[in-house]
Amino acid sequence: MCPDREILSAWLDGEIDSPWDGALEEHVGSCPDCRARLERLEGVRRSLLESPMPDWRPAMERVRSSLVSRGLASEKAAPVWRRRVSLPVPLAVAAGLLVMVLAGALAVSVIRSSFGMVRITRQGSGGTEIRIAASVSDLESLLRSVDEDAGSLEGIIMLPKDVQLLPVGEPRMGKEAEFSRRKSW
Amino acid sequence: MVRRRLIAPLLLAAAAVAVRAEDLNITEALQALLDNALEVKISARIFPAEAEKEPWTAESTRLTIPGRSVKVRLEGDNVQIYLVCTPYTEENGDVLLLSQGQVWFTEPPEKKAKYFSTFYSIPVSYGEKILYFPLGMSDTDVQEQGYFNIELEIVIVPYVKEVPQ
Repeated sequence: MCPDREILSAWLDGEIDSPWDGALEEHVGSCPDCRARLERLEGVRRSLLESPMPDWRPAMERVRSSLVSRGLASEKAAPVWRRRVSLPVPLAVAAGLLVMVLAGALAVSVIRSSFGMVRITRQGSGGTEIRIAASVSDLESLLRSVDEDAGSLEGIIMLPKDVQLLPVGEPRMGKEAEFSRRKSW
Repeated sequence: MVRRRLIAPLLLAAAAVAVRAEDLNITEALQALLDNALEVKISARIFPAEAEKEPWTAESTRLTIPGRSVKVRLEGDNVQIYLVCTPYTEENGDVLLLSQGQVWFTEPPEKKAKYFSTFYSIPVSYGEKILYFPLGMSDTDVQEQGYFNIELEIVIVPYVKEVPQ
């Protein structure tokens, strides 16, 4: 009994395991019909391997047009980020490294601008120091930070307890030279 | 396709450059603020009636920029003095000092509260002394009667940031 076409094709592709491959080989060797079918299958395979790759794009376009005309697909092509692209490996590696370096620089810049601290110091006994620990992302936020820290611009001086200050006239203000009668100290 | 692939890195580079430029602008702005910063020194002195006694003194120094007020509050048993100094720099380099003084005090024996308010606009040079007598300017006769006298001295100098050695 001769094997059917599928079994012969599978045997030709090496997909039949032992011991059935040996039995098939023995049968094909003694059966002219099976040998003839096998030669036809080999001819088909050879012609497929030797023939050039068919251009599938026109066929795909025809199918897509058909789908579009039936309202089953949109005319818009797939977006760029969904398209598969291929790059040479060295170029892809270089692009990846460039992106990593730029991302690192961007991260450092963002961190520096987000956590900037202004510190003004002055040496000496009567030192003056201003600290702005708030985020300094731009000049406006800097000035806002200064405004929020308005308490630092107000000083409180406690006068001595045992002194009773009484008015001796109207308040006055002016340059030192204008007050010649001021008691020297 | 390769050109499209380069769009993302170029955008990242542009963003990094923009952030860096903003950082530089902040540095320049801070430097400009420091270049225009002013130090306002306010000293308070109380002179005792006895001439031989040393005056009581206190000082408050504040750093500010032109247009920003410096406030000092003096608190005593029967008096409160509130001084607000706002320096403005003029084109010729001089300083225009706007100063507002407010005084609350009680006088024995009635303990009635009284209030004085003054407002002055004085052109000054750097280092020039401005005097403020919130309770009036005393003379020798008054001091001999046993009164204390208080005066405030205001001096404005440009802020000089010392370079670390």
